[in-house]
Amino acid sequence: MPRFVDLVNPDLTLIVPQLIILGVALLLLLADVILPKAKHGVLTWMSLIGLSAALVVNFFYVGVNETTFNGMFRADDISVFVNLVVLAAGIMSVLVSSSYIQNLEEPDSMPLAEYYVLLMFSILGAMLVGAAGDLVMVFLGIEMTALASYALTGFARRRMTSLEGALKYFLLGLFASAILVYGMAWIYGATGTTSLDGIAAALDSTVGAGNLEASLLLALLLLVVGLGFKVAAVPFHMWTPDAYEGAPTPVSAYMSVIPKVAGFAAMIRILVQALSPIREDWVLLIGILAVITMAFGNIVAITQRNVKRMLAYSSIGHTGYILAGFAAFGVVVPADDRSISSVLYYLLAYSFMNIGAFAIVTWVQHRGRGVDLEDFNGLASQSPLTAVAMTIFMFSLMGLPPLVGFYAKYYVILAAVEADLLWLAVAIVLASAASAFFYLRVVVAMYFSEPPETAPEGNTPMLGFGVLAMVAGTILAGIFSGQLLDLAQNWVQAFPVVL
Amino acid sequence: MDNFPILSLITYLPLVGALVIFLWANISPDATRKVALGTSILTFLLSLAMLANFDTSTSEMQMTEHLTWLPGVGINYDMGVDGLSVLLVVMTTLLSILAILQSFAPINKRVREYFISLLLLETGMIGVFLAIDLFLFYIFWELVLVPMALLIGIWGSANRVYAAVKFFLYTLAGSLLMLVGIVATYQAYFEETGIRTLNVLELANGNYGQNFQLWAFGVFFIAFAIKVPMWPFHTWLPDAHVEAPTAGSVILAGVLLKMGGYALIRFNLSLFPDASLSWAPYIMVLSVIAAIYGALVALVQPDLKKLIAYSSVSHMAFVTMGIFAFNMQGMYGAMIVMLSHGFVTSGLFLCVGVIYDRAHTRDISAFGGLATRMPVYASIFGVFMLASLGLPGLSNFVGEFLAILGAFTAYRWAGIITMSVVILSAWYMMWMFQRVVFERAAGEPRDPGDNAIPAVSGASADVPPPGHPDTPHEATVPNLPETHVPSDDEILAASKAPNWPDVTPRELATLVPLLILTVVLGVWPQPFMDVMQLTFEAILAPFGSVGV
Repeated sequence: MPRFVDLVNPDLTLIVPQLIILGVALLLLLADVILPKAKHGVLTWMSLIGLSAALVVNFFYVGVNETTFNGMFRADDISVFVNLVVLAAGIMSVLVSSSYIQNLEEPDSMPLAEYYVLLMFSILGAMLVGAAGDLVMVFLGIEMTALASYALTGFARRRMTSLEGALKYFLLGLFASAILVYGMAWIYGATGTTSLDGIAAALDSTVGAGNLEASLLLALLLLVVGLGFKVAAVPFHMWTPDAYEGAPTPVSAYMSVIPKVAGFAAMIRILVQALSPIREDWVLLIGILAVITMAFGNIVAITQRNVKRMLAYSSIGHTGYILAGFAAFGVVVPADDRSISSVLYYLLAYSFMNIGAFAIVTWVQHRGRGVDLEDFNGLASQSPLTAVAMTIFMFSLMGLPPLVGFYAKYYVILAAVEADLLWLAVAIVLASAASAFFYLRVVVAMYFSEPPETAPEGNTPMLGFGVLAMVAGTILAGIFSGQLLDLAQNWVQAFPVVL
Repeated sequence: MDNFPILSLITYLPLVGALVIFLWANISPDATRKVALGTSILTFLLSLAMLANFDTSTSEMQMTEHLTWLPGVGINYDMGVDGLSVLLVVMTTLLSILAILQSFAPINKRVREYFISLLLLETGMIGVFLAIDLFLFYIFWELVLVPMALLIGIWGSANRVYAAVKFFLYTLAGSLLMLVGIVATYQAYFEETGIRTLNVLELANGNYGQNFQLWAFGVFFIAFAIKVPMWPFHTWLPDAHVEAPTAGSVILAGVLLKMGGYALIRFNLSLFPDASLSWAPYIMVLSVIAAIYGALVALVQPDLKKLIAYSSVSHMAFVTMGIFAFNMQGMYGAMIVMLSHGFVTSGLFLCVGVIYDRAHTRDISAFGGLATRMPVYASIFGVFMLASLGLPGLSNFVGEFLAILGAFTAYRWAGIITMSVVILSAWYMMWMFQRVVFERAAGEPRDPGDNAIPAVSGASADVPPPGHPDTPHEATVPNLPETHVPSDDEILAASKAPNWPDVTPRELATLVPLLILTVVLGVWPQPFMDVMQLTFEAILAPFGSVGV
């Protein structure tokens, strides 16, 4: 009997969060046309309500493990966690963006509605990757996220650096997508299916028979390179600093998290779910990539004077830590395998602290200052609360207890040690020690340097609320990480891990 | 009192005080000081209650608290106190009061942040001594870093930023490696027993392989040796001490260094007994080097605080020496040196703070003649100085004597060599004291009987210099009898050096408690040793060499 796609009766109840985001995106487009420009503040609230609704609905899918659209779409515990991260990051991005986009911090006004629509589609794309059951869906979701990101990077369309960053990001991203899809094609050629579970099953019998084709290794290499571009792993990171620096700061905040989460979700779906039978061929590769990435990102960040660029390199460093979690995959018995749960938890932690750091940069820019280290001088005496918030984000990124970044790092180290990868654990702490240099530099500027003459002035309630929420998240998501970790640990039930 | 969480209360009360100051909008500097002082006094009283309830007839952890926290990864909220930690906690709460009291007058900028930092620091320090879960311990251990770095970096002296960053990075780098050690120990214990735990009492039951012990001991040791600080990991200490405000130095010397010594006993000895034995000779060598090196470098310091900082390196070497002698004398010695160093060196830093607040310099050569101008101060300073160099009857003597005795029993050569350090410490301490307290300061006449005195006497200041056409030269001189020997008062009046007031009541209030404790511990150490005895016997049991 020939396979056919049952498009007639898909189970729409499984895709409610995604539908909500899609609906909000379409409503925003509509509202842009109907509402007068003066009332565009409503759009922010529409986005926030939509994202929050999706976030709440998402929790009803905990423990659900079903597929629909003929296996293309999965609602399982991995998609639940990815949705959680993406939607939380989305809410924070909106809070950070609203005043920046409206208040003309850039040379030319930026249309709020289009901004939010692009943001929503990007979020939707990341959610689709997280829920993908098929290579095609992975690619679709990644491209959806990426295309919106390219546009958002160049959103300050009258500023040269914004356009330069966007173009660089676009060209290299396109290149990466081509490599990725080429890898997928090879996989399809080797296994005869694009379904993730199908690939795993096919590989299982191939590997079981003891003949691993060279074509599979080529495919693996292409996939790792393509995904490496998406998550900004060294040596595929070249676009990151320029894109982060050029993009409007709220976009940098969003871009440092959501497309990256999409990339890591794709790694989970492709490497962990589909290619787990050949895990021995990729874990070491990813482990080495992780060490190179964390070393390079953290060391180069030390030389940066521009805070946005510094955060770009720091985010490369964090990519390294997250990759270390992947490298620990599949050594311990599945029920105890902490590798992917540490990755998922790290992504959540990272989204709080990293968007938070960019939010403070946005806050400083709002008050007419630049994004260099000197622009943070004396912030602690002029605006103590902001300085405290930034200090918390910096220390969290550094991995200092009791903040969320420490817990995230601890779980990755734990996963690495459990997988007997002591060298990886040592690399993580050495890289963290190096990272202390540049994170501390921001704190030093804020607390130990003399402030400039003029005090920062401005009123950004939405941004302030966002910062408050992220500070709370950075402190509490760590101390009460038990339940979040349990939720992430459910990943082992999401699909039968074939070893 | 069984279920009353007194340990958590002691730990978090300062945090509550910090939050009150943080959340109290428009709090005045004066109210800030009062809240901070009140909180620290309350904490101290609670810690006294803990001490009163402490049962010296058991070596078990007491007043334990247990909360399930992150069971999936073996992390629990476990607090407890035993003979090793109980006195250190009380010392911490006491020194915190003194540090806060000391800061009342000298700290005038960003008062709010200052006291928030001090209180946060107190929470971190108490937590370090009370946590018996490794993860919890690590959290408190790192929590201490940030407020201390802020204290140095904001309220310190000229080169403060460099010192703050160096302190932060140095200690962070050390403790990060320990984190890998913690996780690896957890994993090794899990593989052996199938139990996921980070409780140090349970982990101590594990039988770890020799190789594992050797390197795990190493990463723990480096983290703690940096804190102690042992030669060659000490370079952050002189910078941090010199630049820190007085209260920062007091806390740094009084408590932070003790965290290293405490942690060596609590973790290295109990978790890795085999490796402790293998490492001990090397640590002994390092200790001997540190004791001599610290003393020699202290000898040539022109800066008061730097001198005391290097003397700390020397004194703390007695602690590591006592610990790794693996006998009761050594243990007692290590612990009493820690307590005594907490009282004496904090007292010395407070003394330096007193004159720093008046002179705004720490240069030894800038001082002199304090014995006549600030007699009360000079005598208190003198007692601390004598205590520091190990005068019998004062606290340091007891500790250093026992530590040397312990080391002598275990490693004869180490005991013999470190004897000489006591002579060195007498040298640098008394020489410093002579220059600061007894000698005439610059601008003062060298000798009371010197003929040059009339020329600089106060009366001549109003008179135009000799040779002026309007006033004959002879007019100034005949007023003075030729054989006049000026009294102290006259010399003071003659001195160009400013006439500083003697210690204020507040300064006295910070110094006297330490003075009393120094004498009590020196004359009657038995009650202190009773508190520790059973705990130390239990700790030393695996080493099979319980002495005394």
